[in-house]
Formats: sequence, C-alpha cells, structure tokens
Amino acid sequence: MAENILMKLDGATRTYTMGDVKVEALRETSLDIYSGEILVILGPSGSGKSTLLNIMGGMDLPSGGHVFLEREDLSAAGEERLTRYRRNEVGFVFQFYNLMPDLTARENVELASGLVENPLPAAGVLKEMGLEDRMDHFPSQLSGGEQQRVSIARAAAKNPRLLLCDEPTGALDYQTGKLILGLLARINRDRGSTVVIVTHNTGIGSMAHRIVRMRSGSIVEIIQNKTPVSPERIDW
Amino acid sequence: MNVLVKKMLRTIWNTRGQFLAVTAVVTVGITVYMSMTTSYFNLNASKDRFYRENNFADYYFHVVRAPQQVVKQVESLPGVAVATGRIQKDMPVVKEGDQRATARITSYAVPMEGEVNRIQLMSGRFFENNPQGGGVEVLTDLKFASANGLSFGDLVYIVADGRKAPLTLVGTGTSPEFTIAMKDAATLMPDPRTFGLIMMSHQQAQQIMNLPGQINQVIIKVAPGFNEELVASGVKHILEPYGNLASYPRSKQLSHAVLQGELDGLKASSRFMPVIFLGIAAAIQMVMLGRMIKGKRLEIGVLKALGYSSRSIILHYTGYSVATSLMGCIMGTILGAGLTSAISGMYAEIFNLPQAIGSINYQAVLYGSALSLGVGASTGLIASRGVVKINPADSMRPNPPKKGGRIFLERWEWIWKRLDSTWKMSLRTAFRNRGRFTLVLLGVTFSVGMLVMSLFSNDTIDYMIKKQFFENQGYDYLVRFSAPLKEHELLNISRIEGVLRAEPIFEIPVRVHYNGKSQEDSLQGLNVTTTLKKITDKNGRPLQLPEEGVLISERTAAKLGAREGDPVEVETLLGTGPSRRAALKIAGVNQQLVGGGSFVSIDQANGILQERSLVSGVMLKVDPGTFHVVEKKLDDMTAISSVLSRQKELANFDKNLEAMIYSILIMVMFAMVMGFAIVYNSSVISFSERKRELASLRVLGFTNREVSGLLMKENMLQSLLGVALGLPLGRLMTQGYISAVSTDLFTMPLVIYPQTYFLSTAGGLLFIWVAHLVAVRGVKKLDLVDVLKNRD
Repeated sequence: MAENILMKLDGATRTYTMGDVKVEALRETSLDIYSGEILVILGPSGSGKSTLLNIMGGMDLPSGGHVFLEREDLSAAGEERLTRYRRNEVGFVFQFYNLMPDLTARENVELASGLVENPLPAAGVLKEMGLEDRMDHFPSQLSGGEQQRVSIARAAAKNPRLLLCDEPTGALDYQTGKLILGLLARINRDRGSTVVIVTHNTGIGSMAHRIVRMRSGSIVEIIQNKTPVSPERIDW
Repeated sequence: MNVLVKKMLRTIWNTRGQFLAVTAVVTVGITVYMSMTTSYFNLNASKDRFYRENNFADYYFHVVRAPQQVVKQVESLPGVAVATGRIQKDMPVVKEGDQRATARITSYAVPMEGEVNRIQLMSGRFFENNPQGGGVEVLTDLKFASANGLSFGDLVYIVADGRKAPLTLVGTGTSPEFTIAMKDAATLMPDPRTFGLIMMSHQQAQQIMNLPGQINQVIIKVAPGFNEELVASGVKHILEPYGNLASYPRSKQLSHAVLQGELDGLKASSRFMPVIFLGIAAAIQMVMLGRMIKGKRLEIGVLKALGYSSRSIILHYTGYSVATSLMGCIMGTILGAGLTSAISGMYAEIFNLPQAIGSINYQAVLYGSALSLGVGASTGLIASRGVVKINPADSMRPNPPKKGGRIFLERWEWIWKRLDSTWKMSLRTAFRNRGRFTLVLLGVTFSVGMLVMSLFSNDTIDYMIKKQFFENQGYDYLVRFSAPLKEHELLNISRIEGVLRAEPIFEIPVRVHYNGKSQEDSLQGLNVTTTLKKITDKNGRPLQLPEEGVLISERTAAKLGAREGDPVEVETLLGTGPSRRAALKIAGVNQQLVGGGSFVSIDQANGILQERSLVSGVMLKVDPGTFHVVEKKLDDMTAISSVLSRQKELANFDKNLEAMIYSILIMVMFAMVMGFAIVYNSSVISFSERKRELASLRVLGFTNREVSGLLMKENMLQSLLGVALGLPLGRLMTQGYISAVSTDLFTMPLVIYPQTYFLSTAGGLLFIWVAHLVAVRGVKKLDLVDVLKNRD
C-alpha cells in the first residue's frame, strides 16, 4: 500500500462546554491517515473517537492544533470551505442512519449525489447495496439494515475520497452488521476510498489495515494489521 | 425535480393541516386586501371620472330668487371658473292611488354645454325645450323610475302652485350631485319610492314654478389656485340682495359626503385589516418554522454533513413559508375578485354611477402578491436564521435538557400548593414558551376583537332604530304641508277616525349666528307639552322644551363654539316673505342620532316670524288598526306635500340591511378562520413537541382524555386571556372604525350590546375548542413503544 498521507492531525484538541461543565473530548492528538486504507478507531464510549471522526469530516473544528487535508490547513478554513470539503470529499455513515424521513431511498441518495459533479448513479449504487427492490420505499418502510445500506449508498454515491462511519453496525444485529462491513470493505477495495470506522466493537478491528485505540480523549495505541481479514470471516 | 424541492413538498404534505391553516389566514388577508383595495380604486376612479366629465360643482349657493343675469356677474368674479344658475326645488309628487312622494326638481339649459353639474344620460333621451305636441319632458333617476314602475312616455304628476302638473318621462339620468338620492341628512337610507330626482329644462321649470327669468341656485367651479372660501364670500356678496339662504362647499354636499364617507371607510379598512391578517399569518409561520427547525436539528445537521450550505438550507425552509404565501395569494386573488364583484354590485345598487365599477385592478393584484410573498419570504428568512447556528457535529448529540426553573407563579406558594400536578405542568409550559404564548394571546385577542367589530353594526343600527323610530319619535306619521297653515285647520286631520293624537310642528330653516360664526340649521317649533317627540341631551337624558329659549343641536353648538346660556341670533331662510332675525338664549343642547335640528316652543317659532298659530306640519299618533284608512284619507287631502310613515321607513330600512348582514357574516367567518388557524397551529406544535412527554403520561396510566385535557388546559390559559382582552380591544377597534367612517353629516353612536360581547366570547370559545379537538386527534394514535424507544 502506497503510503500517501491524505489527512494529518497535528496536536488537535477539542473542548466542549455542556451547560456549565467543560468536557475535554479530545486531548492533544496527532495522527496520519493514509490514502486508501481502512482505519478502525476503537474505544469505549466517551473516549473521544466520535469527536475525532467529526473533526476529520469537517463537521467540527478542533479547539487547538491543526488538521491538514493533504497540504491544506482545514482548521483555519471558514464555514464555506468546510461545506465544500464535506460536499466533495467526504461521505458519512451514521449509527442511526439519519435518513430524511420525507424522502424515498432513491431520493435520499440523490439528495447527496446531486451535490457533486461526477456522482455514481443512485440506482446503481443502491443495486450494489442489494436494494434494487426497495428504492422507492420510505425509510419508515425499511428495516434497520436496509436503512443503513441506503445510508452507505448515500455516502458512496458521491464517490468520496474519505468515507467516515460512526458505529455503522451499532444499531444492527450480528448478520446485518457483517453485511454492512462487507459493503464498506468493498467500496474501499473497488473504488479506493479511504474508510474510517469508529466503533467500540474490537472484533471489527481485524478487517482494518490499521487500528487506533483510544481512551479518555487520547490515542493509546496504533496497531498495524499486516493481515486484514474480510468481514465475512470476522467474529465478535 | 430538485430533491430538496421534493422534500419540501413532502414536508408540506405531512404538515398539511398547519400549512392549510396558515394559507387560510393569508388567503383571508389577501382577499380582504384585494377586494377592499380594488373596490376603493374602482369606486374612486369611477367617482373621479364622473365628477370630472360632468363638471361637479365646488360650491353651492341657494337664494330665494334671483334674475338669471346674475350668473354672468358671478362668472366675471376672479376665481370663478364656471358658474351655472338653475332652479332646484322639492315638490310633492302625486302617484297612482294618490300616494305622495317628493321630487327634487332641477333645471338645466337645453342644450347643455359647459355647465356645472351636467346630466349624464343613462337611458332614453334628453328632454326638449318645446316638445312636439306640447307638455313637459323630464328625466328621472333610474331608481325612482324603477321603484315606481315608470317607463318612457309615462306621466308623472307634481303639485306646483296648487295645481297638478303632468310631466312626461323620456329617459333616466344622473349627475355628480345625485350619486345617492337622499332628501337630506336626516334621511337614514335612500328610499326611491318616496324620493326621486326630476330633471327638466330651465324654461319649463320657470314656467311650472312661476319663476319667469329667475333662478334660485348658483353653483360654481373654482379656478385652480384660488382660495375657495374667499371666492365664495365674493359670490355671497353678489347674491346678498337676493336672499342668501344657504351656501356650502362640495364637502357638505349630501351625496358627495355619503360617497366620500364610504370611500374613506373602505380605504381605512383596506389598510388596516390586511395588516392584521398578514401580520398574524407571519407570526404563526415564524413560530411554526422556528419550531420546525428546532425539531429538525438533526436533519439539518445531516444536510450540512452531506455538504449543503446554510444558505441552501435556509432557502429550503423559507420555501415553505413562501409556498403558503403563494397559495394564499392565488386563492386570495380569486376570492378577492369574487368579493370585489359582490361589493361592486352592492355599490351599483346604492350609488347612481354611470360606469361599470367592477373590474380587476392589476395594481392591486401586483401589490397584493408583492405584499404576501414579501411577508412570506421575510418571515421564512427570519424564522430559519437559526439554521446557521446548527453545528453538524453538535446536532448528532442529544439536545442539552431544556433550561428548567421556576415560573413567577411559584412564588405565591399558597396558590401553587393548591394546584394539582397537571395544572403545574400546564402553567410551566405556557409560561416557558413565551413567544408562542404571546402569539396565541395576540391572535385570539384580535380574532375576538374582530368579532366584536363585525357584530357591533347590528347593535348600533338596532339602537338607532329604537332610539329614532320608537323612543324619540312618538308619532306614526309626520305630515308636512305645502305652505304653513293656521293651527285650527289641523282639526280636519285630528278628527280623522283612528288618529289618537295630533300635535303641530313648525319647521323653519334658519342660519344661527354666534360670535361672528354662523351655521345653517332647522328650527323646529313644538308644543312645550309635546308627547310625540322626545328631546334628549348627549347622555340620553330627556330635555324639557322651554317657553323661551332654544334647545340647540349639538352639531350647531359645536360648530359655533356656543354653550348653554349663550345668546345666539337666528336668521330665517324660508324663501318666502321677508327674512327675520331674532335673538334666542340657549336653554340646552340636544343631540339626535340622525339629522339635526334645534327646538323651540311653537309660540316662539311664530314669534320669530312675527306670526301667530302657524304650523308647517303635524305629527300623528294613530291606532295601529287604522293605518291604512288614515293613509288613504291623508292621500286625498291637497295642501299636503309629504307624509312620512314610520312603518314604511322601517320597511325600507330592513330592505337596505340585507347587504349589511352578508358583510357581517363574511367578517365573522374571517375572524373565526384566523382564530382557528392560530390556536390549531399552536396546539399542533405543542403536541408534536411533547409527544414523548405525553406518551410517558399514557404509560403512567393517564387516559387519552386526561392527556388531551392537559393540552386543553394550556390552551385555555392563553385563549381565555385572549378572549378577555379581545372584548375591550374590539370596542377600541370599533371606535377607530367609526371615526374613520364619520363625516360632517353622519356619525354613528358607539353602541355595543352585552349580547355582542357574549356572542363574541362564544365565537372565540368555539374556534378555540374546535381547533383544539382537531389538533389533538393524534393523542389516540400515540405509539407508546415507538415514542419511548431510546435513541441515544
């Protein structure tokens, strides 16, 4: 794997104020993300992994330190640049899918694909996700696994460089979860998208090229996985 | 189609109840704006054009009689652009079956050229000076002709110089001074059966009235740039030797004053009413969108995460309010056009205007659209500005719990302790959502205020009728004679079988002078012991007619700045015999709802004219069973110029009231729609916001009824306060309305019966209750498991 650095976190921190309480969600963190890798961020809840993901996705800015996209310092970018970044470079997959309830599966995908210049055809991506029969259903008519597949299709249709997944299997049963992970691995393999998966499920780590372990807002360990296994064969 | 647009359409569909409610309020606002503005434009344009084309006079001068040549002299005055001399006189008309009516005869040059107050022919042809086969050709106003079943070639008989003179009808016409045919300001409503306009040539009029080469009126147009009053005083000076009876500017000309009053009222309403409706619609949308955006925080976060900019999301939500405006605008324009044609139809009924007055005014459509879309767009933009602040990462985290805290009521422990927990919840919710609380309060207040304002006219008119026809007027008939008679001649009338009581009246037109100012008035001499006419002061307290001194009319007193105890001088303006002057002391100030008139004892009235026991008319109280017989007897008598019958006046009134009932109904409907929309929207919002909380209550064991009762309590808190505030607001709004439509000649008393307050309250409670029921239908469908499913 060519080790091109796609994104670089340099001493990034993030502090929140919730009511009167100050929470240090991310302590000084530095991390490189390589182009084309599958990176799994592991950690218990409250370890700062989602915060890290949000910062990578341009949904949130660090309170201190820097985030570089290739050479560009995103932490200095304005709202407009961040919107453009999210629009063109990033695909998100959420734990609770976050589909628009008023739109059908196909329309949910089109909602994202309409934003970029060279999207993948919505119907094609949905088909890839095995949803050819469910395209015109509304989210309320879909099962959780189907909704998550729509959500992946929505992210993938933009053909993003970076696919960020926040607990993508968290709300799903074992079988469906594995199916979803397989789809993510396939996007990584077929299109070369960098896939970052945040999870507390250590089993998922075995499909990654690298595993980042976090605890209390800090990275405690980065593990190189020389032999990633396909999601169908992992177990948890 | 753009996916976001699709999404918006689906959102509209899913919130269609609320969407329609807001649309309805916008629709009402635009309907009112369109119909009133268009009616105003049309009526005003029609009036202006009519006035311009027919040279409507700026000033009127009535004299006893003057040689025709004096007109040239008036015209040569600087500042007088055109002057026209003519004869105008009210004459009795004898109709079929000897029934009486009054005609205002006006004379015109043949052919007409640049005269002031020209005739506009409506049908038939103009009269000629010397028609073939002799006779007198005349035009009448359209309404008089149709009310009396007259067609061209028919004969109309007037009584002139004690003789019946036949007039041949050859057409119908109108003139700027005849847009509404009413005898005088004391007439409440036009009655074309008993009063009409007859137009004929100068020559014929002079002959019939035995005024060869004479005129009794000069009307002028003032040249631009000249002071009207200065010019008028010059004219008065010229006319001085001929007995100045009255002079007044256009603004006091009766039909103009009525028309202008209507226009002013329309204009005021067309400004005021749409602002209320659109303002309320904007407020509802503001709250609705604000709430929608709060509720869709996550969705907005996701859209941002996907890469949508704040701007495009704001536009998306603004689209929602623009859509309500657009829809309201379209429907309002359609309904407004319909209402305009109804209003125009009504005006065509009332006013004698030649042009069609019911066309669509594109300017109003343009302004109306701009107004509603502008309000929609700015509301949307303001309401959705919160989108900018939503941070995509934050939106994924659960909202921090709402700021709790005590409300001010909790400081009064003795009250608070007595409330059960559902009341505590309702009170806290109501007071925490101050914006929504204020909105509902305002909306309900205005709706109820509008109900009061819509219903009041019924009360006022009922009050005026009761006061005028039953309290102040004890007589069933007022008979006026062609010329004053000696009092003993009344015996002929008082002896008619069925006449229970007859009292003389002596009416003298006068000019009252005080402190260098003067004002025309009608002096009415009555028996001091009169029981058929009640005179009251401005508080409705009865006044005793003194032997000496005048109970001056409130309007005259106000114009002159005179008060009780002040000495005034009256100058008679009878038009026959010498003009007399006499000093009178003001013994009191009387106020009448309709018309004016100052009262003296009949002996004093005679004294002013240096006469004895003369009367000009008689008031009769008649046994109700014999109305018909008495009327027949009166019709047979000569020397009677007019007979006013209470019964017929009332019937005429009722006929004219029908149009009013419709407009009241429409207004009531509009007010209810607005109130419903507000309460409904607020209830839907509070319901959807609290689904989880309400479902929890259901889980705890509350029944559906108890849960909706909880919402009802919150609703009632704000709504009842709104109803309570709406009643006094309604009174204020009514006051404003009355002052907008009052003219020099007419004022309406502000009378609101308790029944109106009661009905408005009932109307308010009704729309609140219905809106609540519709809004909380969802309580039954609350899915307890789904709502309580833990998402975090």
